[in-house]
Amino acid sequence: MNTLFLYFQREWKLMFRNTGTLILPLIFFLIIALLFPFSLPAEVSLLQRIGGGVIWVSAVLATMLSLESMFQADYQDGTLEQMVIHHRELSLAMMGKVLAHWTATGLLLTLFSPLLCMTFNIPSDQIWVLFFGLLLGTPTLTLIGAIGAALTVTLRRGGVLIAIIILPLYIPILIFGAGMLSQHAQGLEIVSQIYTLGAMLVLALTLAPFAIAGALKTTIN
Amino acid sequence: MMLNPSDSSSCNSDVHRLEVSDLECVRGDITLYRGLSFSTSGNRCLHIVGPNGCGKTSLLRQVCGLMQYDQGQIKWNKEFTPSHTEYKQSLAYVGHKDGLKNELTAFENLQFYQRLNSGNDEEEIDNCLARLQILKCADLAAQSLSFGQRRRLAFARLLIADKPLWVLDEPFTGIDVDGRTLIETLCIEHLQNNGLILMTHHQSLANSPLSQWRDELNLEEIGKNQ
Repeated sequence: MNTLFLYFQREWKLMFRNTGTLILPLIFFLIIALLFPFSLPAEVSLLQRIGGGVIWVSAVLATMLSLESMFQADYQDGTLEQMVIHHRELSLAMMGKVLAHWTATGLLLTLFSPLLCMTFNIPSDQIWVLFFGLLLGTPTLTLIGAIGAALTVTLRRGGVLIAIIILPLYIPILIFGAGMLSQHAQGLEIVSQIYTLGAMLVLALTLAPFAIAGALKTTIN
Repeated sequence: MMLNPSDSSSCNSDVHRLEVSDLECVRGDITLYRGLSFSTSGNRCLHIVGPNGCGKTSLLRQVCGLMQYDQGQIKWNKEFTPSHTEYKQSLAYVGHKDGLKNELTAFENLQFYQRLNSGNDEEEIDNCLARLQILKCADLAAQSLSFGQRRRLAFARLLIADKPLWVLDEPFTGIDVDGRTLIETLCIEHLQNNGLILMTHHQSLANSPLSQWRDELNLEEIGKNQ
């Protein structure tokens, strides 16, 4: 547990020394989502209907954008080598790192999502549905994405490859996350979606750290 | 081919021992070496020599467990392979990359490694920095240090961890004459404490103070003998 905490703490320190990269995914997220109201016909009902989906897709893209840099700096300055040869469990260390990364991307996006909901004129009870959906979904996005980032860390321009590897894996999360919103708009129960998103999060939390550690050990070979 | 540098009677259990047997390294289609065997034990410094591209760094990376090998064995104290925790606990590596975070200060960089090794003593960090004559840079971000200072900081990491096996890849690159003497002194102290060093360095160590502790392993000759 100490390992996780140490890496989490270090990652936080690094992020706050580098505020430029810290806010990039958030700005990207806001801009992508805001492009839609401008480019679509100005019908309140249309924006209301597609708003949730647009915000979800923007969150996926913003997460994607932040993935490439996740392990790149560590690889280039050699700290990744030192992590791999250290006797502390690599998977726990990476979990600490990925969770810290999530607080700066997924969590931040989630906190700002109600603001975007207003531009889409989404009713307030649905804002909460979207908020909790993102809160449950974005850590899974980051954890799965980190596997792709770990696999492509040695490549010079791995960003596109990460997208190709990872985006298909995001589809289930997107289906349940965005589906939750339309279900709720029709007045249906959304418990099953919440459970499914929760289950995917638990699965990712337990398995992704091992996959990340394994991928890193193999790629820096 | 067997290289047995130290006194073979040193089967004392206190003395650490690194044994490599029948090791193979393949990069792409090229076999760099095959059937490489050597052993070295406490208070010896194994100097790996050979021209560029003969596999010196690859050998060090295999010993560190950073590079996988299909054939052969690497054993620490007769039991542990590079994937064992006991092996990793004994190993410190300074490679081409410093392993320092640019955004953190020199002090914070060392502090992180100290905490990873379950230590928490700020005075010790200052001592290590003073030992490498970079105490005045303690509160500077690593990105504003010069190349030589960064190398020194990477060496300070060795002192903070107290590990018996040091693996050093070209330790004197980018370091001035004073720094070189300093690092040689640190290495000798480490060897006197029954430590082990594996290093690559493109120049001969014959005239260095390390020479009396040194054994040489020529990777080029091993390649030719095959």
